[in-house]
Amino acid sequence: MTNCIEIKGLSKSYGDFALKNIDLTLPGGSILGLIGENGAGKTTTIKCILNLIRRDAGEITVLGYDNIREEKLAKQDIGLVLDECFFHDTLRPLDVGRVLAPAYKDWDGELFRSYLKKFGLPEKKLIKEFSRGMKMKLSLSAALAHRPKLLILDEATAGLDPVVRDEILDEFLGFISDEDHAILMSSHITSDLEKVADYIAYIHQGEVVLSDAKDAILDSYGRVGCTAAQLEAIDPRDILHTRRGAFGCEALVADRSAFARKYPMLLVERTTLEDIMLFVAKGETK
Amino acid sequence: MTGLIWKDFMVSKRTVKAYLGIMIFYAALTVMGMFSVTFVTAFVSVMLIMLPISAFAYDEQAKWDRYAMSLPMGRSRVVGARYLFTLLIVLGSLAFALLAGATVAVTGKGDLMEVLVSALTTLAAGLLIADVLLPLCYKVGPERARPYLYALVFIPALGLFLAYRMGIHIDTSWLDRLARSSPAAVLGLFSLPLLAALALTFVSYLISCRVAAGKEY
Repeated sequence: MTNCIEIKGLSKSYGDFALKNIDLTLPGGSILGLIGENGAGKTTTIKCILNLIRRDAGEITVLGYDNIREEKLAKQDIGLVLDECFFHDTLRPLDVGRVLAPAYKDWDGELFRSYLKKFGLPEKKLIKEFSRGMKMKLSLSAALAHRPKLLILDEATAGLDPVVRDEILDEFLGFISDEDHAILMSSHITSDLEKVADYIAYIHQGEVVLSDAKDAILDSYGRVGCTAAQLEAIDPRDILHTRRGAFGCEALVADRSAFARKYPMLLVERTTLEDIMLFVAKGETK
Repeated sequence: MTGLIWKDFMVSKRTVKAYLGIMIFYAALTVMGMFSVTFVTAFVSVMLIMLPISAFAYDEQAKWDRYAMSLPMGRSRVVGARYLFTLLIVLGSLAFALLAGATVAVTGKGDLMEVLVSALTTLAAGLLIADVLLPLCYKVGPERARPYLYALVFIPALGLFLAYRMGIHIDTSWLDRLARSSPAAVLGLFSLPLLAALALTFVSYLISCRVAAGKEY
């Protein structure tokens, strides 16, 4: 299994914000979910991968190609869906096909039309008359029509209703059934990532604070509900972050089983990616 | 690259349709003798050369640039497509001027030479404006480049007006003499500004490529 994306020591500074020493690996046949608050650095990372912005340091390899020196080769096999539909309102889906076909050597017009049909998109309707869900499906059709090996999705499911999201997530799962394919998916909707992602990377204030297999994270991390007095009694080395509220305290632990063995009187529950994000972003370290 | 040129034509379709309406209106007034053919060809040339600038505005509205720069063709080709679109517009304007010239020649309702000279001059001026504005659109965006467009059009016009008011007259009688003796020489002479503007288009393209290469999307 080869890596579809390898990022080593990626840094980019904007003055008031910096992406610091990012290391990420996306193996073939898998989905890497990129999570983080707004402005944490997810889109900046994706822009660096696509060479839309200049990095200050680091190396990025996409499908075995250097993303700057061999940019055109790398991009031939990338399908891109960003947070917005970038096609002009006055175009129609068939026009989008005509615009993009010459850009990709493997563009398959029939495949594009079959995706339009599959997603129920009228070929000759103006894009301005499309709903947000239809626009995202159009972007996805365009991203898949040149048979890419890597899909890069930046908040692609944001603002979509659960039915459309589910439909699109199914498409992603079908896409990675090929071992040579992979998806990098940035999303705020952590439940989507819990459904489809194999790996999770959490970027917080420009740094990767958590990167592991999703199942390992969800199987291992835990949330402890307790009183302030009980929290005080816990060894600080056993907890990562804490939250204090009016009705009690909570703590995030990295090894749920070990914690339960050491503190049998405290209840440790499974946690979610959203919980982990909230603990890291809003919680305190003990 | 052809896809991007096609896209520019497709998104400009609406504007072209609006221009077509105006052109038909002026053509009708010309047939009625209220305007000269020269005015209409000059007007059409100036209108058409604004299309590439409008294309930037449409792209900005759709936030197209970030997507276009993510395509596997490199930034210079994305820029090149816009310049080729501009040159195709120039060719279209020339074709319209030639058509108007041919109509004048056949019907005898005007001076063929005047139509062609007028078209060549306005096209050169229009292309020169595009040469300056395209890199500016890449650098600062179409909205912030707009004041430069006004400056490019109005400052020379104001200069000519002031020169006229100050009694500065340029003797152009030699042109009339040249036109009488050799119409081909006049056409050759008035082709020079257009050729110079075309040469400048290449320089403008290189500048735009440099701007696009250094830009973050």
